[in-house]
Amino acid sequence: MALLEVEDLYTQFWTREGEVHAVDGVSLSIDHGKVLGVVGESGCGKSVTALSILGLVQRPGRVVSGSVRFEGRDLTKLKETELEDVRGRDIGMVFQDPMTSLNPTLTIGTQLTETLRRHLDLSRDQAKKRAVELLQEVHIPDAARRLSDYPHRFSGGMRQRVMIAIAIACNPKLLIADEPTTALDVTVQAGVLDLLDELRREHNMAMLIITHNMGVVAETADDIVVMYAGQVVEQANAVDLFDRPEHPYTEALLASLPHLEGVDVRHNRLISIPGRPPDLLVPPEACRFAARCAYAGIDDCHVVPPELRELRPGHWVRTAHPSSERMAAAVTT
Amino acid sequence: MSGPETATDRREGAFEAVHRRRATFEETLSRTAEARGREAGAALPKASLWKDAYYRFIKNKASVVAAIAFLILLGYVLIVPFLAEHHILWKNNDPYAVRFDQAFLSPSWAHPFGTDEFGRDLWVRTALGGRVSFAIGLAATAAIMIVGITYGSISGFSGGKLDNAMMRFLDALYGLPYLPFAIITLAILGTVNFWSMVIALTIASWFTTARVMRGQIITLKQNDYVRAAYAAGARRHRVLFRHLLVNTLGVIIVFVFLELPGVILGEAFLSFIGLGINPPKASWGTLAQDGYQYYQAHPYIIVIPSVMIAWLILSAFFIADGLRDALDPRSREA
Repeated sequence: MALLEVEDLYTQFWTREGEVHAVDGVSLSIDHGKVLGVVGESGCGKSVTALSILGLVQRPGRVVSGSVRFEGRDLTKLKETELEDVRGRDIGMVFQDPMTSLNPTLTIGTQLTETLRRHLDLSRDQAKKRAVELLQEVHIPDAARRLSDYPHRFSGGMRQRVMIAIAIACNPKLLIADEPTTALDVTVQAGVLDLLDELRREHNMAMLIITHNMGVVAETADDIVVMYAGQVVEQANAVDLFDRPEHPYTEALLASLPHLEGVDVRHNRLISIPGRPPDLLVPPEACRFAARCAYAGIDDCHVVPPELRELRPGHWVRTAHPSSERMAAAVTT
Repeated sequence: MSGPETATDRREGAFEAVHRRRATFEETLSRTAEARGREAGAALPKASLWKDAYYRFIKNKASVVAAIAFLILLGYVLIVPFLAEHHILWKNNDPYAVRFDQAFLSPSWAHPFGTDEFGRDLWVRTALGGRVSFAIGLAATAAIMIVGITYGSISGFSGGKLDNAMMRFLDALYGLPYLPFAIITLAILGTVNFWSMVIALTIASWFTTARVMRGQIITLKQNDYVRAAYAAGARRHRVLFRHLLVNTLGVIIVFVFLELPGVILGEAFLSFIGLGINPPKASWGTLAQDGYQYYQAHPYIIVIPSVMIAWLILSAFFIADGLRDALDPRSREA
């Protein structure tokens, strides 16, 4: 049985304009010790999916239906107090912006020991000792002395390391990293990613890594889920997804990555996907990517909503014309 | 000047100069690299938020003067009656003894503030009155803070329907004018003494604090670190106390110095219209009221307590101003 199984999750926000269908029937699963990457552009529902898993969606949003089974328990059915025990202990979370995710009026040590003592039965001294170990584990030099420092004395990368230390403080089985490197300098991004990977191996954690950066998931993820407009459009093993992308959206995403080498790298412009993602207030009834899809219109895909289907073992896709079928069609005609 | 320079000399001279410059440059480079290596990740000397705030406060001249003035006033109120009581200084300045032979003495060395219509010494009496005013002011301010912070933070933290209901109730109370509200409360309580004054002043003026606290909590609630705390499994009450209320401490301190003069002025006004502390005890308000009856013949009797009240209010406001700038430097730019 998988560690985390999200099934048919629907999360909506009730705004003045109407209901926003932020997460629309998302299913995904992570096995023990595996890394799942969730990719998609801004506003596709990646972060809301993560917050829904932990039950952290705030008003005016709410998880409408679906289940989040973690070690067999459905988190959406738990009471708030039970959920509080799961958060931080069994599932740790790292947020996007380390500059605002630490309380500026509390020392690093306080914020670390707070989580430790909340979940584990530790004395003040034990918690402090463990906090020093944690800071060392995330490679913060002079850890013992830095414990009494306030967050403003840490750089962005260091703060993200502290956030990671807090997230892994209680040896969680699952670590959710929501855009862990987006707010950081390019030079420190790689360091933070390496650290996450290292800690994941040492602690044997599963990891859900959310990003809009294909490069980030390419290196770390075992499986990849591509989301578009609140839905999963493609799900596959990382290697398979990069080698043989099936959904036109995934293809376009991969094509729009900048290339540093190649024949005419200087003369080519960066490829972008035309158009914008649909309004999730009134999502298109059929295929949500149809308006921007190069292959739409050749069949009934903008009338009949495509189902998520398993094209080959482990490779799921939601489109009427995956690339392998297009190629087959091109050969027959 | 030594002999004529040859081309070779000049070239070699230039060469050497370049070398020297290069050597110093490299040395600087290596030194800074070493220094950088040492500094990277090393703990910086300590500086706390409060220390920073203290330095910012010290820089504000008006607030420092106000703080000193406030302390002088506090010192006068606390020390003078003590000295008189223990016959160390001002041995013959009895604030309660009625001696008609010494009535209406103008300010002099023996009686720095003169005497009133019963011959009671006003130097000690004003200090004693200040004690009463201060005590009522501080007690009422403390009560206002407790009520306001509790009400405001519950309202802001829970949000939704409860917040709405609590705020509408507050709006309704806001409609009532301050002093009549306090007077009615006093009338309902039936007696006028220290505690009834405190209760009346608290009931009439806790709204603003509650409202400001609610706003603060709502703003702070949206911070990423609050969400991060929830994600780390923090319980709700823990988030409220650890992450929200602690961060409002600066605002609370400022509000103490904004409420204190308001409450003391309220107390003075109530005393002035005859709803004050019962004689022979006095507060600055009752002293001013006593003086009001003789303001044409003996103006100092009303001027002195009035100046005291003004002194206190002005210094408290300037302190509040400086504290606000010191504790929240961003508010100044806004």
